[in-house]
Amino acid sequence: MIYIFDGAMGTMLQENGLPPGYCPELWNLEQPEKVTAIHRCYVDIGADIIETNTLGANRIKLTHYHLSDQVAALNHAAVRTARAACGPTTKIAGSVGPTGKLIAPLGDLTFETAYNVFFEQISALSDAGADYIIIETIIDIQEMRAALLAAKAATNKPVICQLTFGDDGRTVTGTDPATAAIILEALGADIIGANCSLGPDKLLNIINTFAAHCNVPLSVQPNAGMPELINGQTVFPMGPVEFAAWGPKLIAAGASYIGGCCGTTPSHIKELRKTITPSIKIKRPTAISHTALTSRSKTIFLGADLPTAIIGERINPTGRKTLAADIRAGNYSGIKKEALAQVKAGASILDVNMGVPGIDQATTMRQVIEDLSLLVNVPLAIDTTDAATLEAGLRAFPGRALINSISAEPERLETFLPLAKKYGAAILCLPIAAGGVPKSVSERVQIASTIVDAALNIGLRPKDLLLDALVMTVAADATAAQQTLETLRQYRKNFGFPTVMGLSNISFGLPRRSQLNSAFYAMAVASGLDAPILNPYDQEMLDMRNAAACLLGHDSSGQQYSLTYSAAQPLSQTKEMLTNNPLAAVRQAIINGEKELVPDLICQCLSAGIKPPDITDQALTPAMNTVGEAFSQGHSFLPQVMLAAETMRVAFLTIKENMPAHQAVSVGTVILATVQGDIHDLGKNIVAALLENNGFAVIDLGKDVSPTTVVQAAIEHKADIIGLCALMTTTMPQIDATIEALKQNKILAKTIVGGAVLTSEYAAQAGADAYASDGVQAVNIAKKLLKI
Amino acid sequence: MPRYNAPIMCIDQNETRRYAGLKGQTNFPDTLIEQACTEALIMTTPKGTWNTYPYNATTQTILSNPPLKLTSTNLSRHLEKAVEVVIIAVTIGEQIETKISELFTAGNYTLGLLLDAAGTAAVETVADAINNFITVQNTNRGLQPIWRFSPGYGDWSITDQPHILALADGSSAGIKVTPSCMLMPRKSVTAIIGLVPKEIISTSITCNKTSCERCSHQNCLARKESQT
Repeated sequence: MIYIFDGAMGTMLQENGLPPGYCPELWNLEQPEKVTAIHRCYVDIGADIIETNTLGANRIKLTHYHLSDQVAALNHAAVRTARAACGPTTKIAGSVGPTGKLIAPLGDLTFETAYNVFFEQISALSDAGADYIIIETIIDIQEMRAALLAAKAATNKPVICQLTFGDDGRTVTGTDPATAAIILEALGADIIGANCSLGPDKLLNIINTFAAHCNVPLSVQPNAGMPELINGQTVFPMGPVEFAAWGPKLIAAGASYIGGCCGTTPSHIKELRKTITPSIKIKRPTAISHTALTSRSKTIFLGADLPTAIIGERINPTGRKTLAADIRAGNYSGIKKEALAQVKAGASILDVNMGVPGIDQATTMRQVIEDLSLLVNVPLAIDTTDAATLEAGLRAFPGRALINSISAEPERLETFLPLAKKYGAAILCLPIAAGGVPKSVSERVQIASTIVDAALNIGLRPKDLLLDALVMTVAADATAAQQTLETLRQYRKNFGFPTVMGLSNISFGLPRRSQLNSAFYAMAVASGLDAPILNPYDQEMLDMRNAAACLLGHDSSGQQYSLTYSAAQPLSQTKEMLTNNPLAAVRQAIINGEKELVPDLICQCLSAGIKPPDITDQALTPAMNTVGEAFSQGHSFLPQVMLAAETMRVAFLTIKENMPAHQAVSVGTVILATVQGDIHDLGKNIVAALLENNGFAVIDLGKDVSPTTVVQAAIEHKADIIGLCALMTTTMPQIDATIEALKQNKILAKTIVGGAVLTSEYAAQAGADAYASDGVQAVNIAKKLLKI
Repeated sequence: MPRYNAPIMCIDQNETRRYAGLKGQTNFPDTLIEQACTEALIMTTPKGTWNTYPYNATTQTILSNPPLKLTSTNLSRHLEKAVEVVIIAVTIGEQIETKISELFTAGNYTLGLLLDAAGTAAVETVADAINNFITVQNTNRGLQPIWRFSPGYGDWSITDQPHILALADGSSAGIKVTPSCMLMPRKSVTAIIGLVPKEIISTSITCNKTSCERCSHQNCLARKESQT
């Protein structure tokens, strides 16, 4: 059965005299007959479902018109005006649009506020007698999640969820249609669809993708093409016939609810009606049946025929004092580092455990999930035994998470399963019952079966379930590994759900754990393990993962394996030189910026009896000169110069450590400052670093430095040179002011100026002795001015 | 005032190389660039805010309250077909600046320099994401955004910075402006995005990023090679 929606409401209201800037929903109360007349136009030409004039009738949108206390009245009136136009079979869909704000952390609206705002509007629409709730034109999946959760709590009526996609096939906050379909179907959307922003041609692909990833009916309401603004009027280019011609294609793609959005009129819907046979049976393609987890913008499928998915275990404070202390202090940079590094090391799902005793775990979980959702695009597994923490995490995560885990203990089944159902999460079934940890394979399968039955009874689907095979330590029980491997095989045979387990427990208490873990990994994936929880950094395990992927046929022709292992490690040129000539090796290490090699090389020189001044004169200074020249000639670039300077600094520090009595002689004192009012100091810092490593004593006064401070420092330190920097035209005059102050105080030190906006002409008129365009030039000029 | 803290999940290593002045250099260790990009990402707290105003191209005036007359010839020319303008303010926060200073003090000059470059790449990426958001939001009105233009570009004086920041409501994203018209945190951007009727776009205006060719800073580290 195909259902025809109506077309645009806003355009029709304007045509009927709605003044620009006036609240469209207010007409439900003030001009109900006009709104009813528009509805009737659509009913008369054959719309099966009409939408209420309530797209912006939520508390936040209505605040613009000082009508936030009218939510119930406007929504009730809207259903009344729609009902007045209905034929005997016409249905009313209560329209719920976006709040216009993004939910934190993308915006400043809290999830709870959004939820309450939607709950208020949807309750009003439902109470007033709407037949469906249609949440539409939503651009962010998290806002849709809040609205859908609110709808499920407010009403039993069918809920249609329509997102708005951009030209790139994603919502503006990054969700692709496959991910959206998976999240929304799991959350309980009755109908999933797309509307607005794009014409029917562009929405066709999106409907195709929806159809491939969910089983619920699909809806589509395209615009009449992409609009243009002509003489101040928004004009949609697609006429009724052209628009309607897309109808059968959209239906063939899987849509069974079809209507129009911006720019469509009763004529468009009339033509659409003509092209569609209502009783047509649509043949939907079979949707992918794999278990899927998603983030906001990415889906990971799990299953026997798919590549092994790694669940990174590192975001877990158990046994890690620093991470636990950071979490306790609310410092999540360590967690963020772990997240990025694990994804880089191949994790496609991240486990998140905030089990630090004595903290508010629910709040911490919410904050960490929010932070991670901004930083990485992989799905998350929420690892907790606390229901409040689990709910906080599930609510905050803008995707479909995995719950790690649900055992067969009654209180866990009672509290966790409803949360999984409510938030559309997948669950990891852990075969532990009230009596403790089962040893035998049959007991594990039996307990897993209990959890699976309870999950299916509460309404979870088979593709929401994953099974944990349970890993005990082989040091305590010689058959532990065998039991687990057999459990994996039995799981595959009896259930077919994806399997998960934490591997490393197998080697607890034994040496060379990495070796045991990786051997166990190979055996487990061969026995049916789909998603191991492990430390993705472990090199031995990484090698085994690569080998196993190749052997299991997930790495076509071993291409990735070859790429990873065929590259030979080049020998360092410096290392080769070492035995022949230690000074040359130091010189080369500075030029190459090989900071790690330099301490050893300096020690070699000192052991060979080479004196520090000779190291400086014959290796360090010539090296910096070479780097400087290469920079001046455009053969090397600033980061390379800085790397050389950094290596030089390490060389000096090594000399000092080994020969504390040695005092390097300063070739001159330089005062450096970014002038008053200017807060940019990167360039000045670079100059300071280069001068220091060329033997100058540098007094760095920092940024935003007043002329008086420069004068005082020049006197105090008996400066030879004063370097001033300004980056902006607004602060450039401070160069003049500072030089003037120096002259008035009869400071004889030479002045060098520089910075993005400065030129040699400006330097000359300001009375500076020199202008340097970059750090290397500054060093050369300083040497020249002091005749070094 | 719309608000979008556009997430960035990676920082472009090529852009970081360019801002660090590495241009086409290939013999610089990737690991250092990668490290800088990762550290910068961890320290990035993206925030973006904007407002849309009608624009009178004939009088070169943003019809805000009070109106703002634009005096830059380059900008007026850039906006000559615009009917509305969006003023944006974007930042990645100040954590990265503290880290850069710490690195220089500790003698880790290269990472400090690269982190600064990665920060610039990051704030531009956030601005790009907000630009994209504004594009999607306005396409449905028949309006097409043209490339953003910031105070300091061409002949547009940075003394307009306080007005522009206020029009974008940048203070709500924690951005301030100093008496010398610099933005704090330093890794922040304000810009104006012209909205042009789509029919005009298709015939006469480019929406792409402005190239470096118009800029007067000839010896800028990050200057892009000429396309021609």
